[in-house]
Amino acid sequence: MKHLKFIGVLLTFSLLFACNEDFLEPIPENVISSENYFLNDEQIETGVIGIYDAMQGINSTSLNDNRGIQQEFYVTEMRSDNTRTKNQEGEAAQFESYTITPNNGIVENYYRSTYNTIYRANLVLENLGNASQTAAPIFEGEAKFARAYSYFNLVRLFGDVPLVDRVISPLDAETAYTRVSTSTIYDLIVSDLETAAANLENGEYARASKAAAEALLAKVHLTLGNYLEAQTLCENIMGYSYMLEPNFNDVFYNEGNNEIIFAIVFSPGIEADSQDFSAEFMNGVGRTVGVNYVTQDAVAFLDANGGPDRTPFSYRIDPFQPTQNQVVKYLPNGEDGGADGKTFMSDATLSGNDWVVLRYADVLLMHVESIIAGGQDTSVSAALNSFQQIRDRAGLTDTVTNITKQDLLNERRAELAFENQRLFDLLRFGEAQSILSAHATATGGSYSATDLLLPIPQREINLSNGLMQQNPGY
Amino acid sequence: MKTKRIFGIMLLFVGALLWESCDIDKFEPLGENSIEDATPPQANFSFSNGVTVDDFLEYTFANLSTSATTYAWDFGDGNTSTDLDGFNVYPAEGTYTVTLTVSDNNGLVSTTSQTIEVIEPEAPLVPDPLIVNSEFVKLPKSSGSDCACAGWINRDLGDQGESSTASGADVVKFDNNEPDHVYQEFEVVPNADYLIEVSVRHSTTDGTLPSSLELRMLAGSGYEAGYTPVYYTDTAVMPQGNSSTGYWGYRTVAQMEDAANNLTVEVIPNPGNDDYNTYQYSFNAGANNSVALFMRGIGGAASGNYGYNSGNEEIRAAYVTITAVN
Repeated sequence: MKHLKFIGVLLTFSLLFACNEDFLEPIPENVISSENYFLNDEQIETGVIGIYDAMQGINSTSLNDNRGIQQEFYVTEMRSDNTRTKNQEGEAAQFESYTITPNNGIVENYYRSTYNTIYRANLVLENLGNASQTAAPIFEGEAKFARAYSYFNLVRLFGDVPLVDRVISPLDAETAYTRVSTSTIYDLIVSDLETAAANLENGEYARASKAAAEALLAKVHLTLGNYLEAQTLCENIMGYSYMLEPNFNDVFYNEGNNEIIFAIVFSPGIEADSQDFSAEFMNGVGRTVGVNYVTQDAVAFLDANGGPDRTPFSYRIDPFQPTQNQVVKYLPNGEDGGADGKTFMSDATLSGNDWVVLRYADVLLMHVESIIAGGQDTSVSAALNSFQQIRDRAGLTDTVTNITKQDLLNERRAELAFENQRLFDLLRFGEAQSILSAHATATGGSYSATDLLLPIPQREINLSNGLMQQNPGY
Repeated sequence: MKTKRIFGIMLLFVGALLWESCDIDKFEPLGENSIEDATPPQANFSFSNGVTVDDFLEYTFANLSTSATTYAWDFGDGNTSTDLDGFNVYPAEGTYTVTLTVSDNNGLVSTTSQTIEVIEPEAPLVPDPLIVNSEFVKLPKSSGSDCACAGWINRDLGDQGESSTASGADVVKFDNNEPDHVYQEFEVVPNADYLIEVSVRHSTTDGTLPSSLELRMLAGSGYEAGYTPVYYTDTAVMPQGNSSTGYWGYRTVAQMEDAANNLTVEVIPNPGNDDYNTYQYSFNAGANNSVALFMRGIGGAASGNYGYNSGNEEIRAAYVTITAVN
């Protein structure tokens, strides 16, 4: 009986400690969670690597996995007059015929992947306080570059989109599903890129650099019509040590060459770090029978305008199916696929080719664009000089004395074909409506002006509980 | 047989009943109790047009309507269309009201109108920049007595030029053995070509004195960080590069002499006569929407606050003009 009293007292005391919050919601010690992680430079750096990992996407045949850059060609190049599916079949063919539905899984995947990159960037930004004074500005620059890059793609593809500039809780439906005007999102893009350009140095191409931030910002300013800002940024980059690769083909197969400002890098053979788009562009080598095949229009264009030192390294006749044409800027691990164009020594579905996001040739052509400044043409020597460098490498060495807006649009098409630039160029030059409607008429597509924006994925609309409105035309 | 007849009559009866029952309107008039159209059509469109003299009459209309199945465009010039997206070539300049009427299959209708102004684009001529006191007339300053140098003073870069006359007209003077200068900022169109013309007189005829006039066109990109140029029209309010009157974008001699900030540098030596001679130079504005003209006398031994000196000869300037090359 006497002991019972003691036990009672002990029990009462133990209750006092039991209600400590740590006890009820312990931070797990044997697993990593974001609660007890990102505490020092080393850990935060893994978070930064995670951002690039999200851009890469997962090499997988499942649309449940975020596919990142590996499927970007569907929502950009295949909606332009440059490429199409080989057989006009299935969900992939909705892009070329402008019959995309809100349930299209590729669109949904791209949207989800891009927001995943944004989430990971926000996660790093949220934990900058734990970084050292020397590392914090660099982490901030890289995260903001990635966030701006993601949003720049989103606003150009979807129009108004939700603005998530911090880590939000799953219950914050208002932030996750309220579409914010593109002008507000452009404000964030510009400020993020200005921070990135100020905080970062040059010398990297697999990670964000000062030049990468400046080049992307130049493109943002061209899109917004701020030509003087764009020109100044291009001229900054032209003062660094970048240069055109002498041989056009080496741009894509000599990885990390002097022309590359920013690339999303892959390594061959490893599932976690490789890509499958190189295989998908071939004839039945990947999961599809062949996508991102070159349109007749692009073939005719490149034959007429590409130049002898550029066209052969841009597309080829499909050796297995000679009526069809393939992109050759990303041949799996540099292999040509032998006599039938589809026999590879290495595993093509685990290719290591990098995806070039920004290269010096793009900067030179943006420089010309900033000098034309929304006008019709230019004869300014600074512009002629930049333009001539691109032409000379392509083997088109006749001296250019005047550049019209159309000349520039053509040169961008020839130089940057199949690099996911064409659709954005058409939009920026104000030529998308006329060129895409003519293209759709010629190829039997059903284009209308509302097809310039992708549909917001139906899944998002459903989850939003009425907060999100679909784009017109869907 | 009898049952068959009864069966037949019953069949007729049921058939008649069925016939009657199919006349739904009798029991439920159309529209009564039907669900309201939750997504009525909403008309909306945007437009874009050609920008050159060749195609400014061509307008493309993008249909942004929602929940609509039929479309009727009225382009305001008598042309109409029932296509999804519109395209119209207007007959001439003018103001047109474009109306888009859309409807859905329930017969609900929505209409929207926008007014467009079709204007022939002008040839984009580059205007001449506005230079204040380009003939170096004695005018009021923001501080101190009237001077031919009014509007042309940046004390961060040198001593002010002085007033003199030639055939009764005011001219500005770069005095011998002094670090005299003129400086002014003005607005330009990026990448445009400009012509500078300056009228200059050296004071001796033999050309042995080591005095030259130096002319620099300074890029706005070299202005002090955070500086935004203001383009004055009145010399009485212009800064003189000191705390009481305000500062310009160029704050130090080193900043002005930095090759990266100079669009052009010209030197006018003694031509061997003491006439007013005219000199012309051209420059391209590059990636700048603002530039500054700077002139000083050079040739003497480096000395004084500014580290330069005009040498043992007086130089005068009667005017400077800057015109756009179109």
